[in-house]
Amino acid sequence: MTKKLTLKRKGKEPEPTNEVAASSEASDNEEEEDLLQAVKDPGEDTTDDEGIDQEYQSDSSEDLEFESDEEGNYLGRKKGDGSSEEEDDDGDEEGEEEDEEEDDSEDGESADDGDEEKPTTSKQNKSEDEPSSSKVSKKTQPPTKDLVKRDPSHPEYHDSDTSDEEDIRNTVGNIPMHWYDEYKHIGYDWDAKKIVKPPQGDQIDEFLRKIEDPNFWRTVKDPQTGQEVLITDEDIALIKRIISGRIPNKDHNEYEPWVEWFTSEVEKMPIKNVPDHKRSFLPSVSEKKRVGRMVHALKMGWMKTTEEVEREKQAKRGPKFYMLWETDTSREHMRRIHDPVSAPKRDLPGHAESYNPPPEYLFDERETKEWLKLKDEPHKRKLHFMPQKFTSLRAVPAYSRYLRERFLRCLDLYLCPRAKRVKLNIDAEYLIPKLPSPRDLQPFPTIESLVYRGHTDLVRSVSVEPKGEYIVSGSDDKTVKIWEIATGRCIRTIETEDVVRCVAWCPNAKLSIIAVATGNRLLLINPKVGDKVLVKKTDDLLAEEPSSDVIESERIKAAVQWATAEPAEQEKGVRVVINHFKPIRQVTWHGRGDYLATVMPEGANRSALIHQLSKRRSQIPFSKSKGLIQCVLFHPVKPCFFVATQHNIRIYDLVKQELVKKLLTNSKWISGMSIHPKGDNLLVSTYDKKMLWFDLDLSTKPYQTMRLHRNAVRSVAFHLRYPLFASGSDDQAVIVSHGMVYNDLLQNPLIVPLKKLQTHEKREDFGVLDVNWHPIQPWIFSTGADCTIRLYT
Amino acid sequence: MDVENGEGQVQVHLKTKQEHYAVPDVPYAIDGTVTTAELNTFVNTLLQQKDGSPVDFDFLVFDEYLRGRLCDHLREKAISFEDAIEIEYVERFPAPEPQDCLLHDDWVSAVKANGKWILTGCYDNTLNIWTNKGKHILTISGHTAPIKAVDWISLDEESGRFVSSSQDQTAMLWQWNVGSNTAECVSVCKGHERGVDSVSVSPDGQRFATGSWDTMLKVWSAELDDAGEGTSKRMKESGVRTPKMTLQGHRESISAVQWMDASTLLTGSWDHTLKVWDLSLEGIKTEISTNKSIFDASYSNLNRLIVTASADKNLRLYDARTNQGSVVRNTYLGHNAWVQAVMWSTTEEFLFVSGAYDNQNKLWDCRSPKAPLYDLLGHGEKVLDIDWTNPKYIVSGGADNSVRVFKSRKAVVESMDTK
Repeated sequence: MTKKLTLKRKGKEPEPTNEVAASSEASDNEEEEDLLQAVKDPGEDTTDDEGIDQEYQSDSSEDLEFESDEEGNYLGRKKGDGSSEEEDDDGDEEGEEEDEEEDDSEDGESADDGDEEKPTTSKQNKSEDEPSSSKVSKKTQPPTKDLVKRDPSHPEYHDSDTSDEEDIRNTVGNIPMHWYDEYKHIGYDWDAKKIVKPPQGDQIDEFLRKIEDPNFWRTVKDPQTGQEVLITDEDIALIKRIISGRIPNKDHNEYEPWVEWFTSEVEKMPIKNVPDHKRSFLPSVSEKKRVGRMVHALKMGWMKTTEEVEREKQAKRGPKFYMLWETDTSREHMRRIHDPVSAPKRDLPGHAESYNPPPEYLFDERETKEWLKLKDEPHKRKLHFMPQKFTSLRAVPAYSRYLRERFLRCLDLYLCPRAKRVKLNIDAEYLIPKLPSPRDLQPFPTIESLVYRGHTDLVRSVSVEPKGEYIVSGSDDKTVKIWEIATGRCIRTIETEDVVRCVAWCPNAKLSIIAVATGNRLLLINPKVGDKVLVKKTDDLLAEEPSSDVIESERIKAAVQWATAEPAEQEKGVRVVINHFKPIRQVTWHGRGDYLATVMPEGANRSALIHQLSKRRSQIPFSKSKGLIQCVLFHPVKPCFFVATQHNIRIYDLVKQELVKKLLTNSKWISGMSIHPKGDNLLVSTYDKKMLWFDLDLSTKPYQTMRLHRNAVRSVAFHLRYPLFASGSDDQAVIVSHGMVYNDLLQNPLIVPLKKLQTHEKREDFGVLDVNWHPIQPWIFSTGADCTIRLYT
Repeated sequence: MDVENGEGQVQVHLKTKQEHYAVPDVPYAIDGTVTTAELNTFVNTLLQQKDGSPVDFDFLVFDEYLRGRLCDHLREKAISFEDAIEIEYVERFPAPEPQDCLLHDDWVSAVKANGKWILTGCYDNTLNIWTNKGKHILTISGHTAPIKAVDWISLDEESGRFVSSSQDQTAMLWQWNVGSNTAECVSVCKGHERGVDSVSVSPDGQRFATGSWDTMLKVWSAELDDAGEGTSKRMKESGVRTPKMTLQGHRESISAVQWMDASTLLTGSWDHTLKVWDLSLEGIKTEISTNKSIFDASYSNLNRLIVTASADKNLRLYDARTNQGSVVRNTYLGHNAWVQAVMWSTTEEFLFVSGAYDNQNKLWDCRSPKAPLYDLLGHGEKVLDIDWTNPKYIVSGGADNSVRVFKSRKAVVESMDTK
């Protein structure tokens, strides 16, 4: 508000008063500020309009109401200053002008009053009289113009309250007047006629006028109008005062007595009689918020004492120091990097680097030679440069390697790791599933204990008596031999008419029968070992042919004929002969010993046959050939039948007579299979060196594929009691593995290869042809092409 | 003897139980590197004042035979070199000498010596009687399957009785008339359902026990006329005998039977157990589980320990008196194949013999587990049975169709002494 006031005054008042007003105003302001500081909060230094007004009013009038600015001012002034200036207030600008004139002319007039009033008048002007205010703005011009205007005859605002008259004098506006230098006129008058510059005489005219005209010295040319203006005496006096550095207004008394408008004392009692507003008794919401914020800041430790703030400011203002050799690790941005590596530091230069090194640092001849010798291996040099001596730093030439070394340094910094890389230290062994140590999986066969010698050709097949006292073996020398396990004694040799491809001891301990596949014939032989009663019973059973009224189909009849053995063969122990139409490759018993299945690979759609011993009947389970059948197997518990063709294994339900499952082996040629005694896991050997473990509950794909052998795997076998299985291969090795099947369905079988038993000899690329477990002991029998059967325990 | 101080020296006390070989009980400091041979010379030197001829000794350090250097032995046993060590020395058991080879027609699976006779059972179903001089006396046929075990019941000047068991599921009781050199089958013991693998006659000769592949242990009367009440007249006439007792307990074939005393039987089986049966209770007294099938077991009345031959290369020593499962007292390593037969000496407390499929017999001292005392070579095939009933002779039969007789020299000496 005060500022506004001053501005207004400036515009309206002539300079002399202006000066005074300004000074008094300044003093006012100072006073105001003093008071403010005394009364107000020290924290609030904003020169709030409202606040100032309040103070202003409070010390000017006792009974001011807490009202709006204008009114308050008005009221305050009215009350405090009496009625003498009322006419001034009422009077319009003319009166004012006169007033000012008076001020100018008379010294005696109280400047105080004038000063006091001016703000109010201006305010009134502003509020009531718009035209005048616009005029005022027009008049803000350099003082020279004022001088021009001010000729004594024409008081400034004497006859013109419009701006028209002034425009006549200068019609071009406030522009550089040299634009009109080339013209004869300056601007146009009201009637659009050129205002012609007064004729300009030359030097001589000038001189003449100077001589003639006594007022020449006080004639001034108005550049805006081109008119010549005569400066009055008053103006000259004013100019003189200005030149001499005195206050232009000659009436101004610089040494007036001090009037204390505002007291410096703080009143004990309220000045105003106004009761506190109701509002002030209510807690302030904004203050509450502010206090809350402060409390929060205090709690959080954000708020700082002035001392602290001061210290911070001081620190900010003070000199900053940078640690030249500081490590990066201390930096905030390195903090999140775990275990950071600081960038390598360059060595500080030593004496050798100096341009003027001490002579002992300079190379002598030997050192130079040595240095030069290592040209091809610069990293072996002690110094990467040759110290040189220069007379002065000026003489040091540019370093040719500078850029390169800078670049290399940057490269170092860029490529060097920022953090120590945590090397993922995983042992290869850690990734291998934890297998129990073979030591903990004992017992299993570890050593060859017995060799059963006697065959003269490769032994194709071996089978163990269910009680575990004898084994039977079939060989290419057309014999079947029965051996005593414990001693290796060949108990009996049964000669047959053809190569014995497969032998199988009946798994039923109540029967004493061996099935022997020799050529086209399947012989059921009573080995006549073991319990004599059983031998006799079996003989009786096989002797009488059960009468069957079932008429067999031609298809079966053409394939199979049952016959009782000839007397000559009866002597040898052969009881029943089942003649097939093609060579039999494999024979296998059902667990109960009544059914047995044979495989004739050449039999096309009749290659698999199931014989029932008690009824002497044969069945052909499949009408269509699904491929070259390699081997068949009965499920130990369920009425299921496994048929392995070259590539796949099909599981048939014999009761429902349907295909249950097809196992995909993804191998070229299956050689054999064995089923876990619990019946849920199947082991398949293939000629392409693999062994496949199928978990029948899990999938039709192998649960595990084992490539343990280096050559075709011929045979696999599960142990009936121990969690063991073994495989025999053409690489002459028998590999014994631990194959634990858990009752818990969630746990997959555990397979651990345990032992490689390699004692068979190689004959014509054949190694081990068949493996079979002892039914009770953890012993394994293997037959080989070297005409032996070996027992490993 | 100089007493040398220095490292590697040990103080020893030399002791012996054989008093005629005793040396003064003073400590000797000897070098740690001494071997048995040097100790032998040393002891012989000490003994020289009394006795002229040098004697071979074996040295026992902490109940084990010294086989290598003394210091190695001590180190292995973790014995301080500082202590005074007691070395016991015993006269070395003289090496048995091969004496005879009795040739048979087939594998000899059972041998038993008694007095001057040797009874053998053969895979050709015959029994043979030989003199220990190697003279074939008699061939007895009667079984229809290979004979697996034989045992003498009694023997005197005129007659002998013995029992044989066979794979034909029977045991046969034989009466042999020495004078007329004829043997007749007194009775056939039928009852087993499979081959009878082992037979043993009780110490008093009243009964015999058989173990079979049908897992049964049967006890029979060994009397000439079986006075069993239950037997029918017809059976008596035919000479068929039924078991007095049938004991069930094993799960596999019983491969070894031996009487420990008049009413206690020891059996070893393929089901990895040794069982001690009390016949008065008709039940199992002690059971020792092992981890291999047992092929043969032998019990010694002298030291009351059991040594077993099982389906591996080791012989194991058990003590049936401890009830703590399979506490193997010692393991004897030396054979290269299955050990099929084992038997304690009847006179020597610490000695036993074993026959194995590596064609060797070995004579062991139970205090020397690392190495046998002697290898008894001679067989060209698997040894199937071995016998040392007669202290003078170690007899073994094998798959090379022969019975080898080894003369035990010490026994000879002692018997001569006693005579």
